Amino acid sequence: MLDFAIYCLTIIAVWSVLGLSLNIQFGLTGLVNFGQVLPFGLGAYAAALAAQAGLPWPAGAALGLVVAVAVSLMVLLPARRLSQDYWALITLGAGELFRLTALNAPSLGGADGLTVPRFADPHLALGAALALMAAAWLVSHRISHSPFGRLLKVLREDEVLAATLGRNPVSYQRTVSIIAWAMAAAGGVLYAHIVGYVSPSSFTVTETFIVWTALILGGPGNNLGVVVGAAAVQLLSVSSRFVASWIDLPADVLANGRLALFGLVLVLMFLFRPQGLVPEKKEVRDAQRR
Amino acid sequence: MLSVDKVSLSFGGFQALRAVSLVAMPASITGIIGPNGSGKSTLLNVVAGVYVPDSGAVTLNGRPLAYGRPEQVAAAGIGRTFQVPRLAHRLTVFQNMMAGERDQAGEGVFNLFLRPAAVSSREAEIAGRAEAMLKRLGLAHKANDYAGSLSGGQQKLLTMGMLLMSDPAVLLLDEPAAGVNPVLIEQQAALLHELKAEGRIVMLIEHNMEMIANVCDRVFVLDAGELIAAGTPAEIRADERVVRSYLGMPA
Repeated sequence: MLDFAIYCLTIIAVWSVLGLSLNIQFGLTGLVNFGQVLPFGLGAYAAALAAQAGLPWPAGAALGLVVAVAVSLMVLLPARRLSQDYWALITLGAGELFRLTALNAPSLGGADGLTVPRFADPHLALGAALALMAAAWLVSHRISHSPFGRLLKVLREDEVLAATLGRNPVSYQRTVSIIAWAMAAAGGVLYAHIVGYVSPSSFTVTETFIVWTALILGGPGNNLGVVVGAAAVQLLSVSSRFVASWIDLPADVLANGRLALFGLVLVLMFLFRPQGLVPEKKEVRDAQRR
Repeated sequence: MLSVDKVSLSFGGFQALRAVSLVAMPASITGIIGPNGSGKSTLLNVVAGVYVPDSGAVTLNGRPLAYGRPEQVAAAGIGRTFQVPRLAHRLTVFQNMMAGERDQAGEGVFNLFLRPAAVSSREAEIAGRAEAMLKRLGLAHKANDYAGSLSGGQQKLLTMGMLLMSDPAVLLLDEPAAGVNPVLIEQQAALLHELKAEGRIVMLIEHNMEMIANVCDRVFVLDAGELIAAGTPAEIRADERVVRSYLGMPA
């Protein structure tokens, strides 16, 4: 039971990193990334390829970050100055392109995927996941409460306004993508070493929408909300397995039912609480205190 | 000096501007009037770098402006407002004002993580100026309200304040008085006179002829994309063509 709790916490920490990364993009900047699983997958595959080549894990991590940043710039190139809808489509397409490539390229293991050396000790895995989450949190927190974050929120509200104020929206979006994709890639590297293998089926569009569900549920624009959302979604996902075995539900019905549940959560949140469970805080300036 | 020289622009078959030329001097307020669809906003958008003219040139102190690159035009010292005010609605009035300053150490990621002291001292400096600007505009009591909760007139004042944070040489204002209550219009007029006294070039599109008469040194009249008259507000009121095309027959 304790092992299971440790596993749950580890997974929650990894998905919180993914959620924090999406929050910088969407919650702060308004970038609709429907391919959030792409940097995650790039990180995981980089870790696997480095391991296959007999390199130590830091090499895989470095490779993952470099590739994710390079790909983020490549994806951004055609997305320049396009509206949000196109952004969503381009990132969605890029994520699928990667998954289908991994599925069909023998050097990437095809449908069987690749094995990765696992953490010997689950406690170590949990420690690493929590450390990465803390780092992602600190970066997110510093950005949210800074002049940079303020301008990102201006961009989110109105790109034309940002340009009118003399800022080039594209250059800020580029910076945000680099940071957020590197963060998600780091999560992917860690994930590969936690589960011990990577395969295309781990990086489907579904994964992206689970991150989105966590973000929308928790509260876009609020870092704490993202972690709360990631924890809620992962616990829901895990507990549904117990419910299923209890009432004898077949595995495929369970998997689809879980997605339907997430879909329902999204619809209900959009309808009744679009600001999320932990809404973005108003940054109040206290003039008296000075 | 802001100079528009024989600027033409068409959208498909529609000629929005036909060889429009005008100049606006520092420490002056220039009005642009004309019926709806006469090309006023299009002209403003060309100057602000939103549209690329088919021919002609726009220069500030002899230097050509970057057509089609609004952020570069803004960085060259040309601030513009919109008919419907553009603000970050879910940020406070104070944060909007802070974002108006272009030169921010804390917008660079390297500074943010490696030079936090420089970031916070610059931030304190900008905060002081933002506070002073809010006082000047009479919006200090609204500092912590969401910008989206302000009245239309207050939103227009706030957008002007945001531009002033970066000390622009030119202010282009698109219908500052439209939908604004009379008290705030008076406040705006007083502000425009101050901006003029500070040596700035102020150019406004306006339908409110009282505002035009009160503040403008010189007025240009557009009709169907063509400049049909120029002069002082009094001269314009007396111009027969202007009366026929825009102001209407005197009762």
